[in-house]
Amino acid sequence: MRLSDIMSFLDLHVWAEVALVIFLAVFALVVFRILFAPREVTKRIASLPLQDDNGVSTLEEGE
Amino acid sequence: MTLLQSQTPQQVSELESFTYDDAIVRKFFWATLIWGLVAFLVGVILAVQLAYPQANLIPEIAFGRLRPLHTNAAIFAFAGNAIFTAVYYSTQRLCKCRMWSDKLSKLHFWGWQLIIVSAAITLPLGITQSKEYAELEWPIDLAIAVVWLGLFGTNFLMTLVKRRERHMYVALWFYIASLVAVTILHVFNNIWIPVGVVEFLKTGEVSSVSNLMKSYPVYAGVQDAFMQWWYGHNAVAFFLTTPFLGLMYYFLPKAAKRPVFSYKLSIIHFWSLVFIYIWAGPHHLHYTALPQWASTLGMAFSLMLWMPSWGGMINGLLTLRGAWHKVSTDPVLKFFVVGVTFYGMSTFEGPLLSVKTVNALSHYTDWTIAHVHAGTLGWNSFMTFGMLYWLAPRLFQTKGIYSVKLVSLHFWMGTIGILLYIISIYTAGITQGLMWRAFNENGTLAFPEFIETVTKLMPFYWIRAIGGTVFLASSLIGAYTLFMTWRQRPAKYDVPTHQAPALTKYYDDGPPPVSRLTSNAGIGHAGDRFLQGHWHRRWERLPVRFTVWVVVAVSIASIFEIIPTFLIKSNVPKITTVLPYTPLEIAGRDIYIAEGCYNCHSQMIRPIFSETERYGDYTKPGETIYDRPFQWGSRRIGPDLAREGKTNPNAAWHYDHFYDPRTTKGSIMPSYKHLYERDINFAEIQPRIVSLALLGTPYGDAVTNAEEMAREQARQVADSIREGSTVTELVDNLEDKQVVALIAYMQRLGTDLTRTPDEAATEEGASE
Repeated sequence: MRLSDIMSFLDLHVWAEVALVIFLAVFALVVFRILFAPREVTKRIASLPLQDDNGVSTLEEGE
Repeated sequence: MTLLQSQTPQQVSELESFTYDDAIVRKFFWATLIWGLVAFLVGVILAVQLAYPQANLIPEIAFGRLRPLHTNAAIFAFAGNAIFTAVYYSTQRLCKCRMWSDKLSKLHFWGWQLIIVSAAITLPLGITQSKEYAELEWPIDLAIAVVWLGLFGTNFLMTLVKRRERHMYVALWFYIASLVAVTILHVFNNIWIPVGVVEFLKTGEVSSVSNLMKSYPVYAGVQDAFMQWWYGHNAVAFFLTTPFLGLMYYFLPKAAKRPVFSYKLSIIHFWSLVFIYIWAGPHHLHYTALPQWASTLGMAFSLMLWMPSWGGMINGLLTLRGAWHKVSTDPVLKFFVVGVTFYGMSTFEGPLLSVKTVNALSHYTDWTIAHVHAGTLGWNSFMTFGMLYWLAPRLFQTKGIYSVKLVSLHFWMGTIGILLYIISIYTAGITQGLMWRAFNENGTLAFPEFIETVTKLMPFYWIRAIGGTVFLASSLIGAYTLFMTWRQRPAKYDVPTHQAPALTKYYDDGPPPVSRLTSNAGIGHAGDRFLQGHWHRRWERLPVRFTVWVVVAVSIASIFEIIPTFLIKSNVPKITTVLPYTPLEIAGRDIYIAEGCYNCHSQMIRPIFSETERYGDYTKPGETIYDRPFQWGSRRIGPDLAREGKTNPNAAWHYDHFYDPRTTKGSIMPSYKHLYERDINFAEIQPRIVSLALLGTPYGDAVTNAEEMAREQARQVADSIREGSTVTELVDNLEDKQVVALIAYMQRLGTDLTRTPDEAATEEGASE
């Protein structure tokens, strides 16, 4: 008996749909958790890229 | 000397000094620009070749061979180097540390450029796997794995481990996801048997360079197609989307000088892409021989992508809240705004095209080409140019950009070029799709000759060529502006030293969360503690654990979707009359692949009435079980060939047609005169048959006698050409010429299905 015989017998088509539901559920949990995250934490993290600005502007022309 | 401090008092340890490695960013900066110009130039040449087929001057740069060079240059050379420019610049600053290893950075840079040069040499030589965006042959695949994961991945992940900023900003998450997903995709789509290695192990020598470079995938037919489009779709997702979103979330706030509109939305955007994108690949195979459940699953997940993608676009655009007045004067913001808008357009259109009924019209037409170019030109290239213009004065330490007016000119010309391109090609695609399915009142095809649906598109093809040329010209203006900015650099670059405290080994996460609820059951309290997100904030500080969870999410989705197709027999019912290709047909098939015929011809008739009317019975999953690699194609610039052997078996006609395709009036196919001069390398065939037999193709006597069998069939095909009424001069030693092998393959296509079991048994006996 080959692996494909066993897999065919198990009829795993439904697995994909089960996985879909699992993924949606986990994703929903992540979304809920993000919505409830403390604002002060996200505000600080959001400003991380702006911490090393050195005042150079592309708008100015070099010469 | 600048002081960078953002940690809370309990985290602070001794200050450490460090510098950023901007020299490596400058290298990737120039590589992005140079390869971008190459990719755009090759694109313009291809556009002209489609409108004016006489522009296919020599075989090595004919459309079929050049098209993969264009896509690889655009994706891996232009976009790839842009990604590395963004990653090397932003990671160092977000982590407040230099890249972990300067040596790995340099090896990564030169290794990646070497891979691109290898692609530029091998693809025109016809050395290809024929899988879209994964054409490169096995030695280069190995090099990609080493450079991407071994050099870049190690350096990047170790930089995260050694960082001095506790929290990982969301851009870094997108980079992590890209690194992880591309590694998985690349490895699993490139599992093959190298013919040269098999030959060497069996005989102690390799008969040709062609065999040395040649490989056959372990997957065949439906499974190969499924694996390839799982890869192909996610290459778009994790090479052209997630790293560019990382770029957007870092550089857009910097250019706008304000934080991203909603950090929470950016996290939702991230997780939704990681959770959902990986499932969507099968929408590339609607109505094909792929099992229906897989196709529907791909569509369902594609539709789910609509909301998070638009959430991301809106998040990007709203980052400019209160700064919209700057957009009219700041060309960097103009590039970013149009880039993000194109992201929204493309991610609206993608799910739309995944809807089966829409896909029935759009698939195999230029609609897909327009969609892809809206994404790569509008989203990828405009985000890249916005980044390059923002970076130039900072990397080259000039006061500003050389000429703001030239940047604006680049922007406007680029926008006009994109619009000319996509509007004409959307029109061409929809026109062709509607013509293919049009019926007369009496129930026959309104345009039964495929060529009618090609000649109709010529005006649009010319407009596309003009649009592409305008875009190329705009990029040359951009390159000139950046070059002139570079010329204003100081004699020696200043390397500022920064300071930040090292992260302490032990971090106080604070007290575990306490439920805020009063009268709930235990599960309610647990839920409230979960929602406070203490656990997720810990993840965000732990790059290895974070990476592991991304791997888990991507892998599980892939396994659930792909494995059943491989292991459930009913997905690919066997057809007893379908037999392996003969040795000569394999040689012909490999020529078909090398010439890139799959770029213009599909071999997949969908179960749609207009298609079965035009081409014959629809393709069954069991018909392609010996197809390594599969040749279903993704575009019909020429007609489908799945039943060519049934509908057009005339060897003499093919002999004339390959020599001068204009024997079909209006054809835009290149001439293949070189196949009449080049000999079949019969010695190559035996190792190829042995390799295919190793993969499970039941070859019988052909495993030892392939060369003689191929020569015998070549004599028969050559005789049938001689007996036919050709208008093309018959070449000497015709039975040795490559065109004979290609014609043998054409005559075989689609014939197995209608063979009787008795005929199949006779054929099988003869081949053994």
